[in-house]
Amino acid sequence: VFHSCFSLQAKHTEHHEGRLYHIPLEEVKAVFPHGLPYRFQQQIRTFNEARVMVRKPALELLAYLKGSNFAHPAVRYVIYGERGTGKTMTLCHVVHYCSRQGWLVLHIPDAHLWVKNCKELLQSSYNKDRLDQPLQASVWLKNFKTSNEHLLQEIKTQKKYMWGKRDATEVGRPLGEVVEQGLARVRSASDAVGVVLREIKQQSHRGSFRLLVAVDGVNALWGRTTLRREDKSPVSPEELTLVHNLRKMVMNDWSGGAIVTTLSQTGSLFKPSSAYTPQELLGKEGFDALDPFVPIPVSNYSPREFESCYGYYLERKWLQHEKAHTEDGKAELQFLSGSNPRQLDRLAGPL
Amino acid sequence: MAAPSAAGLGRRLRAWLPRIMPVRWSRYDASFLEPEVNKELYQKPLEKLTEEEREQMELKAVRPIKAAPPTLSSSVFSDPMISKFTNMMMKSGNKVLARSLMSQTLEAIKRKQLEKYHKAPENEKETIECNPYVIFHQALKNCQPIIGVCNITKGGKTYQVPVPLTDNRKRFLAMKWLITECRENKHRRTMMPEKLSQELLLAFNNEGPVVKKKHVLHKMAEANRAYAHFRWW
Repeated sequence: VFHSCFSLQAKHTEHHEGRLYHIPLEEVKAVFPHGLPYRFQQQIRTFNEARVMVRKPALELLAYLKGSNFAHPAVRYVIYGERGTGKTMTLCHVVHYCSRQGWLVLHIPDAHLWVKNCKELLQSSYNKDRLDQPLQASVWLKNFKTSNEHLLQEIKTQKKYMWGKRDATEVGRPLGEVVEQGLARVRSASDAVGVVLREIKQQSHRGSFRLLVAVDGVNALWGRTTLRREDKSPVSPEELTLVHNLRKMVMNDWSGGAIVTTLSQTGSLFKPSSAYTPQELLGKEGFDALDPFVPIPVSNYSPREFESCYGYYLERKWLQHEKAHTEDGKAELQFLSGSNPRQLDRLAGPL
Repeated sequence: MAAPSAAGLGRRLRAWLPRIMPVRWSRYDASFLEPEVNKELYQKPLEKLTEEEREQMELKAVRPIKAAPPTLSSSVFSDPMISKFTNMMMKSGNKVLARSLMSQTLEAIKRKQLEKYHKAPENEKETIECNPYVIFHQALKNCQPIIGVCNITKGGKTYQVPVPLTDNRKRFLAMKWLITECRENKHRRTMMPEKLSQELLLAFNNEGPVVKKKHVLHKMAEANRAYAHFRWW
């Protein structure tokens, strides 16, 4: 039931639901320098292969993306669900599909990392009110470069950008140079990110490339931050350059692509742990900003998907306990995990 | 010599009364029965039960049952040795933490062995053991000493006398040595699951500091063979 030997997602249709398809390891390193959950990365290392389950929400999203008209403004999709049901994995499935189709993928692995635990906050040179985050910006630029090497050489800048008093990027230079500039001069990394986002947004309607904006934990952009300035006054998200530019990206005033986002309570700040709907997690401001969006709920495993996952663990010798191979063990696993993918993974770990 | 004998006489002359508050005995009355955890027994239809089992069921209908201790589990995956080890790892009653450390240890052992398994050539694959429970039990067995040493004072001098150990004592010593070794002799910043999984894998292969400690104890007992007759039990 669970073997899906092909890796071309264009052929994924409803009757493949519940089966696992595998991604070759070189592609994993190229497409996902960041963005995969940590437990999944450990699983890839242990089993020496990357297997992603094809589930209904992902199939739905892929169908929408295949049938969307790229002359119209970008449609926003919000993947939501309870904790541990597979929202990030659905996003990664979509990202892999789009990068295989040759789209330019703007994948922000976790927007919550940009609003908390920042060691260095610099005052932005471009706009006096805003704050820069050089470390987070440079890490993201490095990963962005790894995932989109080929397309960065084709897109050319349309304006001259000054980095400080002496450095400048002329018109018509490939975007790769802007990224290099951001990596070399870490102080201007956030501005480099802003430039990249702006250029991509302006040029996407021409049709030479399709753009996918994939943001995990989009509720971080409209919540509160735990960052403070040196005078201990709190920082709100709009005062961060990275968040400001990302908000502009998530607006649907551009065409030629799609915006797929995920809500996440686990990394969120000041939100109760029982909150999972878009209304609760985004708040009024975020909901109004994202307003015409397509909600995609992700739920626990169906019985068929559970069988498939259980069979996969057995085949890869992950379930080593003798009783885990019996019917009783399987029933117990299903009951204890409640068919929740994360709970099943955590339970099957020591067994 | 008068005072002690007078007090002893007085105590013996008073009638012997049992203590009102039992200190270490069970708080349950004699009529209480133990709880039954085995699911299959309850799922059997009435005809298949033997005579004793039928009597037992009728007795349970009238007698009160003791409360089930938290360590008693009806899960198919529960293992008494693992529970004992988790209890010994527990500090200040934090069973949640101890249990999560234990599950992370078992997972770490499984991951290391599976990685080795997948990288090994075909002919060596059968020799690699991937089941963390088998490794745990075998490692404990390899760490258990066969004979122990006891301090006996005779004529003012204390001798280390070789002494047989009960099964419980052997298991306890093995677990205690493993845990103390991990807690004390490792780098401060390594996590417990990592340390424990390393120690268990070494003990499984009969290497490592715990097995060495067991050998040292055996050698001590062998060296003090001459005093074995000091033991009176």
